[in-house]
Amino acid sequence: MKKRKTNIQWERLIYGGAAILLFLVIWQILVKPGSAKFATPLEVGEFILQHITTKVGPCTIWGHAGWSLSRVGVGYILAAAAGIVLALLMSQSKVCNIILHPLFDLLRPIPPIAWVPLAILWFGIFEKAKYFIIFIGAFVPFVMNTYTGAVRVDKKLIDAALMLGTPPRTIFFRVVFPAIVPQIFAGAQVALTNAWMTVIGAEMARATEGVGWMILKGMENADMAQIVSGMAVIGVTGFLIAALMRWLEKHLIKWNVRER
Amino acid sequence: MKKRQKIKEKIFSLLSIAGFLACWWLITDVFQLANTSLFPSPVTVFETFVDKLTNANPDGNILGVHILNSLLVVGIGYFAGTLLGIPFGIALGWYKKFEMTVRPLFDIIRTIPPIAWIPIFILWLGIGLIAKSAIVFLTVFIAAALNAYTGITSINPVHMWAGQTMGASNWQLLWKIGIPTAVPMICTGLKIGFNTAWTSLVGAELLGATEGLGYMIQMARVYCRADLVIVGMLTIGVIGLVLSIILDYLEIILTKGRY
Repeated sequence: MKKRKTNIQWERLIYGGAAILLFLVIWQILVKPGSAKFATPLEVGEFILQHITTKVGPCTIWGHAGWSLSRVGVGYILAAAAGIVLALLMSQSKVCNIILHPLFDLLRPIPPIAWVPLAILWFGIFEKAKYFIIFIGAFVPFVMNTYTGAVRVDKKLIDAALMLGTPPRTIFFRVVFPAIVPQIFAGAQVALTNAWMTVIGAEMARATEGVGWMILKGMENADMAQIVSGMAVIGVTGFLIAALMRWLEKHLIKWNVRER
Repeated sequence: MKKRQKIKEKIFSLLSIAGFLACWWLITDVFQLANTSLFPSPVTVFETFVDKLTNANPDGNILGVHILNSLLVVGIGYFAGTLLGIPFGIALGWYKKFEMTVRPLFDIIRTIPPIAWIPIFILWLGIGLIAKSAIVFLTVFIAAALNAYTGITSINPVHMWAGQTMGASNWQLLWKIGIPTAVPMICTGLKIGFNTAWTSLVGAELLGATEGLGYMIQMARVYCRADLVIVGMLTIGVIGLVLSIILDYLEIILTKGRY
């Protein structure tokens, strides 16, 4: 049995690897090195390696990634705090729900990136505007997931606690909240992906550093190597932070195995 | 009883929105607490909306043209993306060899957010219709393929065995068991694909376009017209919502009788 499993894994590796290799080779052949709007895979690789130490504009590739991540960090944490609090308020208090939910539903369909011009008008072209846009991007999933989780807590758990004489406040902290946490994590992951996508968009619209800025500059300079390098960094970083989130979830809520 | 409660809730929702608008209006027009060029009153926003229906300033087109332009781009990209993405996803789920070969490439492309493709598409294809449609196409393709793939791989093995026992060919298995099982997931993919596509489109228009709603709000910012920006944002939101609801109805029609 074990032999069969490793055979399949080898097959996957060979087929998949061959396909990627073939893709890279064809790409390399089709493009003349040094041409205007196109770059070969080798040129892209060269660009990345070169700019790990030398600067692209104001900082190295690490620097740009750092800038983007720091913006995500600020907006994300603010969104988590505000979003979870709002969702809990809306789920626990009927009055809050009636007042706030329609407003939320009104603003929800507007894509975070559509807030960019308004954010720039309100907050200028520096960091505050970007924090705001990322906040909007991450806020919605936090609110929606936390709210859904809070509303769907198993009534039987609450009833059982009530029956045993638990005061309402304790019910909230010991029964409702732990039941919601897995759902909050689900929202946190979606929010993180959204935040990462939004920061790229915000940086492309108006910035002086960051990975979004880097690929935009590449477009302006017709430097495809820079663009593709930036895209690679964006993809890898996005993948890593998502994996980090999943790892955190696995270890922080050991008591619950959520269906993937 | 329940119906009355629902009507009550709807009335309260409307009252809440009305209250919000009233507060907004009070803050801006009546008490003048905010800088009205940055924070226009709802009355100004409404007036701008009506005005933009016929006024081509300051970006060169009336609201209707922008809306049509955005819809056209989304339509082309969406249509092409689903047309190619769904069969691709089905093939990915159905044919093992195909999956083993193509999946890693697909996964790599998938990790890059659609917005990050905008610069490279603009570099290659310019700032016209083709580049914007290409970005929408890519976004929708990925979403449709992924969901079709998930749909096919969620086929109940028992159904497959039943079909095989009765002597169905591979092709029949695909069409009678595989695809019907995948339809709900495909519908989910259609909806998710649209929402991401609408977002990508706004992003693409913000950066490189000469018409469209994203372009309109970008130009409005350049001219410091916060009222026009808000009109644009609300239009984007409303149209996105309306099309989303249409897709919801489409899903209900397509999955009638399924559990």
